[in-house]
Amino acid sequence: MKMKRILCVLLSAMMFLSVFTACGSTSSDDDSSGTTTPTADQIIDSADIEACEIVFWHAMSNKQEEALTAITDEFNATNEWGITVTLVNQGAYTDLSTKLTASAASDTLPDLSQAYNNYVTSYIDKLVHLDAYVERDYDEMDYEDILESYRDENSEFGFISGMPFNKSTYLYFYNKTLFDQLGLSAPETWDDLITIGQTFQSELGMVSLGYDDLAGLIEATLLQNGAEYISEDGAEFDTEEGLEAITYLMDLYNNGYARLVGEDLYFSGPLGNCLVGAYVGSSTGVTYITMNEGYELGVSTLPGNTTKAANTAGTNVMMFTTDLNKQAAAWEYLKFLTNTENTVYWAMQTGYMPIRTSGFESDEYQEYMASSEAAQACYAQQDAYFSSLNFDGSYDVRNDIGSKFEELVLAGADGQTALDELVVLVNGILQ
Amino acid sequence: MTMTKATKKTHSQHIKMKPSAVITKVIEYVVLILGAAMTLLPFLYMILSSLKTYQELNAIPPVFFPSIPQWSNYVEAWNSAPFARYLLNTIIVAVCTTIGVLITSTLSAFAFSRLNFPGKNLVFSIFMATLMIPGEMLVITNYQTVSNLGWIDSYASMIVPYISSVFYIYLLSQFFEQVPNELYLAAKVDKCSDFKFMAKIMVPMNKSCLASIAILNFISSWNAFLWPLLVTNDPNMRVLSIGLVRFQTESGADYQLTMAASCMLVMPVVILFLVLRKYVLEGVAFSGVKG
Repeated sequence: MKMKRILCVLLSAMMFLSVFTACGSTSSDDDSSGTTTPTADQIIDSADIEACEIVFWHAMSNKQEEALTAITDEFNATNEWGITVTLVNQGAYTDLSTKLTASAASDTLPDLSQAYNNYVTSYIDKLVHLDAYVERDYDEMDYEDILESYRDENSEFGFISGMPFNKSTYLYFYNKTLFDQLGLSAPETWDDLITIGQTFQSELGMVSLGYDDLAGLIEATLLQNGAEYISEDGAEFDTEEGLEAITYLMDLYNNGYARLVGEDLYFSGPLGNCLVGAYVGSSTGVTYITMNEGYELGVSTLPGNTTKAANTAGTNVMMFTTDLNKQAAAWEYLKFLTNTENTVYWAMQTGYMPIRTSGFESDEYQEYMASSEAAQACYAQQDAYFSSLNFDGSYDVRNDIGSKFEELVLAGADGQTALDELVVLVNGILQ
Repeated sequence: MTMTKATKKTHSQHIKMKPSAVITKVIEYVVLILGAAMTLLPFLYMILSSLKTYQELNAIPPVFFPSIPQWSNYVEAWNSAPFARYLLNTIIVAVCTTIGVLITSTLSAFAFSRLNFPGKNLVFSIFMATLMIPGEMLVITNYQTVSNLGWIDSYASMIVPYISSVFYIYLLSQFFEQVPNELYLAAKVDKCSDFKFMAKIMVPMNKSCLASIAILNFISSWNAFLWPLLVTNDPNMRVLSIGLVRFQTESGADYQLTMAASCMLVMPVVILFLVLRKYVLEGVAFSGVKG
């Protein structure tokens, strides 16, 4: 009798589970109708696109969301095919990333989404290859007009994985009034940074420098010294150049020339309140810097050492829909979103950069740039742009290396110790 | 009547107090006032910050009172997202999950504490074991389940996964076990059914614990962020906490607007607490559970 009851319970549990399994398999069957690798023969001609709705997930808020909405509304109102693009805000970048991962696991990805390349390494098979679309419309949209580093970033998986969208770079923001008082000018080299650090310390008893993004700092510093960062095999900076770069960084902190951001989260506040002399952060952060009365803000390119290297940040827009009609419709929207006129509008509204050379060179943007020191600095360091490489584990390295570095700074570690510990951390993740 | 007697007694105690006892009382109250001030300070700071300008909020040294209260922050925060709809959704989700949790916890706790059935201990152990699994681990699989059921953008997706809680079942069953078994046996002699016994005896006797569960669950449901964000895409289905992140970007944040929205978000919970504080405090005192 007892056995019979247990058997009943087990069978019921099996039935329950099988319901869920059945649900799971239905969903994946639905997706077999389309393809993520459309060929030139398969893609739908512009003239044949049927009216449809395209869902676009993003992580833009405030003014950025307003600008994106304005561009999208215009597309919805003017496009000849009756395509409606629906914008869906998915919180901050980390929330968007979590949601994409969950959706990839259950085959419910949106038609389009903003994403960093390192988000998608675990579901790269679900990305639509845009090569056929780019090739077809090559002349029309002049793909090469898009800045080279962005094209490279969007081709790093061996196919065109997206279109660059909200692109920023890191800049050096400084308190121009204090710099002028001390007879200093914006730094060009690492040595200049040390001189500035020493002067601030001895003359004002102040810390001269902060970095918003420590993971970005490590990568940029290594590249500025001719060292390499990471590859799929692990850390590539356990070299003489690497040691020199990490030692230089640790010395900045250990000598009191630089400090960690702490609970301010961003250095825009401390710079405005004259608590640091300068900081390195995203070009879009300029809208959040409010200098105390009587102080003027200065913006400059990143200093370099043996070479210049400036991080670019910001996402690309990727396509996930397997439906060929929707792909063609989403592609029309992508072209619209990234055309010269809209990339300039986007840049001027948000502080991001135009993704096209023609955008930078347009009269409208040139006029804007004349009044924006940040935009000038972005343009000036174009040749030094680099994007981080992405592969399995690179996202984890990015997440962990900043906090490890913070630990090392707090412990006052020397260059060699810091290098060794960072190498162990990176290799532990990637190998 | 009893209350009057008690009041009189207290008054007479006060009159007869020795100087040393008065000093002790004063110290007690000073400590309590300091404690209350420390607890209230973050709330006060939140309210004051919500009325500051961006410059005042970031000023060093910090400015405690805004020079001119910026009521427009509330208007701006309110208009930046459909907060009225978010509020309605949050109330629906929080109320439904709380009712669900109360029903499932009461039934399960009663079964575990009073009924005898084969495998009771095994089932209870399995329930307990699930407490060892961090919630984050289940997010993706739960999302798959909800998504496969076609529940994305529905209240069901936000309510159903949270209508039972092993922790509350465990907590309540401990309370139920403290009710003397004689009551149960006496009820049985009077031919009272199990359900009736639970509804008429167990629930009224443990209403403080149930109120604690209700309030704690309501608060956690009110504050939930990641899950509601995951299972909704339609702005009309979203909840208040999602509205809060709208003021943050990768390079900075408008904290004055975040604070204004936070004030709007916590106000209903504060009101609920004030209404139910008697039960909450009793429950907390009994169970030692903190919110």
